[in-house]
Amino acid sequence: MTDIEQPDTEAETLEEFKNSFYYGARSDLNFKFLKSLSPDDAGEFFRQLLGEIGRSLDHGGVESIHQLIFDWQVRGYEGSGRSHEYDTAPFVAPAKPVSESKVGVLTSSGHFAAWDDPNPFGVENMTQAEAEARIGDFMRDTPALSVIPIDIDPGDLRVRHAGYDVRSVSRDPEVAFPLQTLIALEAEGVIGELSSPMYSFTGATSQGRLRRQALPGWIDRLKVDGIDVLLLVPV
Amino acid sequence: MSVGHVARGFEEAGIPTVSVFVRAFRHVAEVMKLPRTVITQHPMGRPLGGPGDPQRQRTVIEAALGLFDSATAGGTVVEIGDTWRPGAVNP
Repeated sequence: MTDIEQPDTEAETLEEFKNSFYYGARSDLNFKFLKSLSPDDAGEFFRQLLGEIGRSLDHGGVESIHQLIFDWQVRGYEGSGRSHEYDTAPFVAPAKPVSESKVGVLTSSGHFAAWDDPNPFGVENMTQAEAEARIGDFMRDTPALSVIPIDIDPGDLRVRHAGYDVRSVSRDPEVAFPLQTLIALEAEGVIGELSSPMYSFTGATSQGRLRRQALPGWIDRLKVDGIDVLLLVPV
Repeated sequence: MSVGHVARGFEEAGIPTVSVFVRAFRHVAEVMKLPRTVITQHPMGRPLGGPGDPQRQRTVIEAALGLFDSATAGGTVVEIGDTWRPGAVNP
């Protein structure tokens, strides 16, 4: 007589599996959007992903896999941020063409100078993994503004961020921190001047503390820099 | 949302802003009514282009800067159609 296999009551559910990519046992910030999908949609994502991977075995291309991930990221995030809705859009016209303007830069990519580590929560030399593990603390904290001179040695530029996969910007800061791009555009006269320093902060932060405690001082600081316009790069 | 609040704050303080968002967060720029926004067809965390792709990075930055000269009202959103491509920097 053959024993009948009993259901494993400890088996992981699809809900638990998909959520584990969001700061869980399988944390992968490229795929944290899975938590926002229903179990059925997450299952459909994996079905399509495996299908594309299978087809790529023969044709060798990866573009369709990348497009699939992109499409499902869009779908996964479509419900995010909708609580911060406004009725009107502020607008001031620049006083002069951008080719004559002093351009300031502020990113939420989490870059900082090696000699000016913000040491979140008093932790020195916090690693990326440690930052991701403390995402909840970051989301309750006031963001710190990092000051980065434009003549910084590229080897002194650091990045750490609890909210996104920094491997891409670690390979090339220009992915989210366009220092060399803007230096070239200044040299060609596309912009009048690149303002120094540039600025960055960790965008995974308390929105209330950002607006009420940090932002007023940031505005005052960049006004002192004398910028005409401001380029913002979120991640 | 963070950069959305920053953009609105600076614009309300008299400093014109432009923001570069990836497509997954286009709706954030729209519901937050940002002054000027460029949207890229890039995965999250790679707003300007792939690592080692200075051509794409420049295209995106030029499109963003161009909005300072061309936008005439808040809430201007321009979507760049170029699809994602990996850069030249290997792991």
